[in-house]
Amino acid sequence: MTTTSPISPLARSADPAIGDLASDLARASLALARRFYAGGTLWCASPTWPFHSHHVAVEFVHPVIMGKRALPAVTVPPDEDLLATLRTTARTGDIILAVAPADDAAVAAVMRRGDAWGVETVWIGTGPRPPAGAAKHVLWLGTDDPLEASEQFVRVYHLLWELAHVCFEHRGLLKPDVCLDDVCITCSDEGRPAEVLAVLGDEALVRTAEGRESVDTSIIDPPSPGDLLLVHAGTAIRNLDDVAAPGEQR
Amino acid sequence: MSPEATDFLYPFIENEETDAVSLLTDLAASAEGKWRQSTELRNATLAALDGDIRAAGTAMAERVLAGGQVFTMGNGGSATDAEAFARLCTRPPAGIPVAARSLVVDQAVLTALSNDVSFEVVFSRQLIAFARENDVVVGFSTSGNSDNLMMAYAEARKRRLLTVGMAGYDGGRMGASPDVAHCLTVRSDSVHRIQESQSAVAHALWDAMQTELRQKGAAA
Repeated sequence: MTTTSPISPLARSADPAIGDLASDLARASLALARRFYAGGTLWCASPTWPFHSHHVAVEFVHPVIMGKRALPAVTVPPDEDLLATLRTTARTGDIILAVAPADDAAVAAVMRRGDAWGVETVWIGTGPRPPAGAAKHVLWLGTDDPLEASEQFVRVYHLLWELAHVCFEHRGLLKPDVCLDDVCITCSDEGRPAEVLAVLGDEALVRTAEGRESVDTSIIDPPSPGDLLLVHAGTAIRNLDDVAAPGEQR
Repeated sequence: MSPEATDFLYPFIENEETDAVSLLTDLAASAEGKWRQSTELRNATLAALDGDIRAAGTAMAERVLAGGQVFTMGNGGSATDAEAFARLCTRPPAGIPVAARSLVVDQAVLTALSNDVSFEVVFSRQLIAFARENDVVVGFSTSGNSDNLMMAYAEARKRRLLTVGMAGYDGGRMGASPDVAHCLTVRSDSVHRIQESQSAVAHALWDAMQTELRQKGAAA
């Protein structure tokens, strides 16, 4: 050995804290298990680090522990248009998981459509946190070092798999009629998010978590395909893209 | 929901469970425990392998300075680790980019070799085609026993390449084989915890290579 300094490629913490990530992981795992139980597919994306999305998918499809069930998980190829691909392939009841920094506009655009598409969204990342509500489940790391973050991403999705399989042993909590949310959109009288598929005069064909429907758009400015609307009693009451953050991909 | 969709569930004792709070509490505690185990294994592994990592990184840097490139390989999750290491070499967050390529990414080559010959030769046949003097092979396996890696290491040694491997458990065949000059073994019997530590070892290996590249580059 020619040098006495320790190998430290990273600002690597000797004991990185898990903090709130533990309870975030717990909730995300139960949500994941519930979606799988109901027949959902997990879509994995990591435009910046495609090897991470491949790793997540293979964990679920071909578990390392013998006897664990193969679950449907698919990597979205990094060279595809993420929003266009998932808009077509992700169906109500599915899960979309991304490993991506908060400034990934394509991932942000997909995640904010989660409720309109009826999909669960899980966003794993590091660095500055995405804004509150950017995804249903935000699993964020405390480290700023890219290599330490990469190591911890592997832990996060391994734990997600391990905890989801624990949830499968709690069948009563996987039933669709057990409502775990504080405010359940389908149970309340709130407006529901919808994505515009086509505009026809004062009406728009939209996608919501319940499927396709036609809504009256006469009380808002004419929307464009891809816009997110808030729909109440068959009427679009607000265009959410009118208040979208500057620079956000629509 | 079709009845088949529930087939994968185990025989249940908690079918009527409706309160998620206690489960979520247990899951969070489990996550904390596993996180700590992963950190402890990583720290112990980096300490135990410190000298081996430096030796392997130094040897890699010598090959790279002599014009060699790095090939990486692995199966399943380890294939993604191989891809990650190749990308770290070519597109480092800091330091000197190094020519590297994963042998797992070309679907046409992988399926051609698997279909026409066998899956065992998918890496060794690529080395026959691509490898030149001074090249380096870095393989990832949790068992240390993958047939296609072992065939590639035998071929690599025959061609006098530098051979580096990441293994788990007790090192398996990689740990015992003279074909693997530098075997870095994460001593655990959990595949997930092994992969998590291998990720840290790979980064330390890259750093050791970078350190040597800087020193030798400055001296040159």
